[in-house]
Amino acid sequence: MLVRFWGTRGSLPVAPTAGTIRQKIVAALLSARTFTNASEAGDFVDRELGFAAGATYGGATPCVELEAGDGAYILCDMGSGLRAFGLDSMRRNGEGHRKTYNFFLSHLHWDHIMGFPFFVPAFDPTATIRIHAAHPDAETALRRQQEEISFPVPFDWLRANIEFVQLNPGESYEIDGVRVETARQQHSHVSYGYRFTDVDGRTVIYSTDSEHKPDNMEDEATFIQFFHEADLVICDTMYSLADSVSMKEDWGHSSNLVAIDLCHEAKAKCLALFHHEPTYEDEDIQRMHEESIRYEELTRNGPPLTVICAYDGLEVRL
Amino acid sequence: MEYSLERGDGAIIVRVCGRVDESSWEAFGAGLSEAIEQARDGGTSNLVIDLGALDYMSSRGLRALTVAKRQADEGGIAISLASPNEVMREILAISRYDKLFTIIEIEVKP
Repeated sequence: MLVRFWGTRGSLPVAPTAGTIRQKIVAALLSARTFTNASEAGDFVDRELGFAAGATYGGATPCVELEAGDGAYILCDMGSGLRAFGLDSMRRNGEGHRKTYNFFLSHLHWDHIMGFPFFVPAFDPTATIRIHAAHPDAETALRRQQEEISFPVPFDWLRANIEFVQLNPGESYEIDGVRVETARQQHSHVSYGYRFTDVDGRTVIYSTDSEHKPDNMEDEATFIQFFHEADLVICDTMYSLADSVSMKEDWGHSSNLVAIDLCHEAKAKCLALFHHEPTYEDEDIQRMHEESIRYEELTRNGPPLTVICAYDGLEVRL
Repeated sequence: MEYSLERGDGAIIVRVCGRVDESSWEAFGAGLSEAIEQARDGGTSNLVIDLGALDYMSSRGLRALTVAKRQADEGGIAISLASPNEVMREILAISRYDKLFTIIEIEVKP
């Protein structure tokens, strides 16, 4: 199974400014020496500059692709990252890929659906698009964002074969070669996490926009069971623990420390930090990643949990 | 995890030892609640949680501290965290809980 991240930022798409890029280049030049070719220079960037200095976590809102199952596309959420996926899928379709898209929506807030109006395959009459959601009003949300007051192209102009499929928490579904389960999470208008398992037993959890409040800790047993022995857990780690219990309480998001603790208890193998705060610069996200790795080391009481930090373009092969 | 309560100079002191994690956070939270009740009943406005013998605290323990702080705030009781070891100092910094709680040093009893 391959997991490909097309959008990893929460709430709002962001982009680095000219000033930010200039700062990165200046810092890199100060660290650099003479290189004889691009490959040497590339090795220097990859091995000696930190990720924040030599790259970027990106700024597209959530969209995560799973390559698994019988050859249909599998997508979690339709954030602004969906646009780039859609264009890439047109290229792959030209090479013979099956034109069936299975979407799984965590919830209907705009940062998780804003990419759909720009999803080019939706205009292809030979494409099949199945939008799976535990929300009964998923179709309402998608149609609403394409009403004329908000967008010039109405939903009814889309030519693909589009179906909305209702999922229920607690049930198990076999969808194009992947077993899918969903679980209710705490968020405004509710959100849902997903557990995907392929025929080889590889399991990915997608759990974003899920708040774990201090007065509901006894309910976390449900998440520990849902995350059980997963190969990869993609978790909302938007805020510091302190922020999540104070000024950002009831904003519907979680922290890196809670995600690590849940994964430890669930005996998951790898955690991907996800849904990055839009006001964070790359240095802030890198610092959060480093601190998360350290916290995992300090509190480990069993096998190690690998902590990675999702960025737009990251691929993880399980 | 074990804890004890005692009355000190103008404060109720909770001493915690071991670690506060998924197996012990509920007992830790209950102990804090008991300490807050004692402080309120005794007219004491300070509660000191002595972390000197604590190995570490996971997010469950930290969030139990938050629940306790809310209860304490309602009763006009101030909570301080005392003498964290190096691991706990790191955890308090990583969690940014060092911005939410006052951290002090207290003398170790012989």
